[in-house]
Amino acid sequence: MAPMIDGGDQGLFLDRPALPSHALIDSLRSNNSGGLKMRRALVTIGLLVSLLLAAAGRAEEIVIGASLPLSGQLASFGAFQRWGYEHAVAEVNHAGGIAIGGKFLPVRLEIRDDKSDANISAGNVENLISRDHAAALLGSCTPALVSAGALVAERHRLPMVTGCDPRRAFTSAHPWKYVWDVFFDEAELAAAPFKALADAHVTTNRKVAILHDNGPDGQVVGGELWPELARTYGLTVVVSTSFPVDNTQFTSIIADAKAKGAEIMLVDAITPQAVAIRKQIATAGYHPRVLVIEKGAEPAQFGGGLGALADGVMVGGYWDSSFPYPGARDLLMAYERETHQRGSQHIADSYAATKVLLAALATAGSVGGEAINATIAKTNATFVVGPVRFDAQHFAPLPIVEVQWQQGRTVVVWPAKAATGKLLFPIP
Amino acid sequence: MSIEAAASSLVVGVLLGGIFSLTALGLSLVLGVMRLVNLAHGEFLVLGAYAGYYLLTVTGIDPLLGLPLIAAAMGLVAAPLYRFLIQPLMGRGVEAPMMTMFGLSIVLQNLYTAAFSADTRSIETGYSALALNLGPVTVGLVYVMGFAISIGIVGLIHLLVSRTAFGRDLRASAQDAGAAAIVGVNVPRVQMLTFALGAACAGAGGTLSGLVNSFTPASGAAYLLNSFAVVVLGGLGSVLGTLLAGITVGILQSLGGVLFGDGYRDLVALLVFLAVLIVRPQGFMAGRG
Repeated sequence: MAPMIDGGDQGLFLDRPALPSHALIDSLRSNNSGGLKMRRALVTIGLLVSLLLAAAGRAEEIVIGASLPLSGQLASFGAFQRWGYEHAVAEVNHAGGIAIGGKFLPVRLEIRDDKSDANISAGNVENLISRDHAAALLGSCTPALVSAGALVAERHRLPMVTGCDPRRAFTSAHPWKYVWDVFFDEAELAAAPFKALADAHVTTNRKVAILHDNGPDGQVVGGELWPELARTYGLTVVVSTSFPVDNTQFTSIIADAKAKGAEIMLVDAITPQAVAIRKQIATAGYHPRVLVIEKGAEPAQFGGGLGALADGVMVGGYWDSSFPYPGARDLLMAYERETHQRGSQHIADSYAATKVLLAALATAGSVGGEAINATIAKTNATFVVGPVRFDAQHFAPLPIVEVQWQQGRTVVVWPAKAATGKLLFPIP
Repeated sequence: MSIEAAASSLVVGVLLGGIFSLTALGLSLVLGVMRLVNLAHGEFLVLGAYAGYYLLTVTGIDPLLGLPLIAAAMGLVAAPLYRFLIQPLMGRGVEAPMMTMFGLSIVLQNLYTAAFSADTRSIETGYSALALNLGPVTVGLVYVMGFAISIGIVGLIHLLVSRTAFGRDLRASAQDAGAAAIVGVNVPRVQMLTFALGAACAGAGGTLSGLVNSFTPASGAAYLLNSFAVVVLGGLGSVLGTLLAGITVGILQSLGGVLFGDGYRDLVALLVFLAVLIVRPQGFMAGRG
């Protein structure tokens, strides 16, 4: 069939029925115009429906956002926190949700992985607010990650409740208005091993080696508090040094501490470093009589990764299932039943932080940031971690105990009133 | 620091350096023969560490005795990766294969997290915490064993590269892949075997690293950085250069630790690495061994 379209259109529509050129163009124009209009109308309607559905969806649930270190160096903490957050939310949803404006709404927990990176933590919180429309937030873990996200929450005037960020690191980062922290005080944590050893009347040569990472909490505990406390308790610091949080070799520090005869070694490091340090202490043929590894020796992976080498290592604790607080034993049992893994104190502060936030939402009866924030400020109740009441710096301190790894489990060894076992001294 | 402590640290540096040479050897071979910057090398090392860990915990086989098994398994995993991911991109510039390996490293890291969890692991055996006293020097037995095994494997690879028909083909492919193909060398096959050999070395090196240290799914980046320093110092594709550079990096790191504290280990080693890049960019022994 010969082409029926003039000039430059040759080659097009070769198989179409013949039409006069002007008629074809009009027809096309008309069809295109109508089709475009139709498509535009459909797209507009679709968008409107989507927006309405999204708005309706938002109104039908309460979104709580959290950025957590689910991978990277701090993942050992993140896994416990995630469970604590999810468990608290599941309990509330199981009970029918939270009444907002007279209507019970379910809570949806939106969690994003910050890969143990402060920049990603900040970005996650930004996305949780802008994309997921979170009504309130829960914190990450360790001062660097918590502060990165908390500053974003603060800028958006959205309430955040967190654990896993000790007092001095938390309160020195910012004069918080919308962020609240339930955790321990570094000063109490730093003093706990000294008090535990003094109360147990252990005998050493009183020489101390201090190793700490250069993160905010490591600097406070290892760089400032421990040297002061050592002087107070009449001990001599023979080695005191810091290292980056991603360091893997500690042979020089350990060889130095061994050569100087330190019988007490105090370490503040995250879990990968804590495991490496304990192994390198052993392979150096160094046998301190007391070994405290704050932070990194707490998660179950420390004992799991080291086996018998973990025995005798002490670490500060703020929670144990034996504590006389409502739901403490049940919480640990629920964790172990669901995950078939040993629990950690991090399930408790994360669970308590979520409970504080959910209680505030319920009391406020609103998803408005200001209303929730004002209600959090008035929190005065006993949770699974103990009494929670925020001070003027938005911090609620938890009581500290000293725990020790013994035969693959952690045992509370100080103070006497909370002890579940006796101090193992010297370490095997 | 006392002389005994400094001596112990330096000896540990030498021993660790031997392990570094094995962990970097696969990267060096692949870079030298295939001109491929294997950004997933760190993840191969981590996989080797997990292989050693699970071999011990699941089957009870000592990871050192199981090293040949781990190396063979890693080689078998790597060969199809080369065939389906890298070979189609060879000859199309360095960027595409490099970015593919970068993507693979991210995929592997996430797979490890999903499969093994993000928990910190460490390979614990009866000997991994034993100390060996050599006069005033004390070192871990596992460091000595790791060093000896690494030197042995590096020596075997050197013999393979310098004394066998495969080694001749490998060297020919490294010098000029086009000319090697003209004289009858099956270059894609040589490259696939080189890639598999590199992964096998990474598997063995990763297991040794897991014995002396802790690891997580995210440990690959630190392993890769260390391996790059060793490869550049030693010269691309040079087996003996990699051995020499590994030990040099180990000693430099220990010197940094002794002089300035363990926090400065990497800084000192990387500063020297940068200095070598300026003065002798081809490395210690480029084109030799």
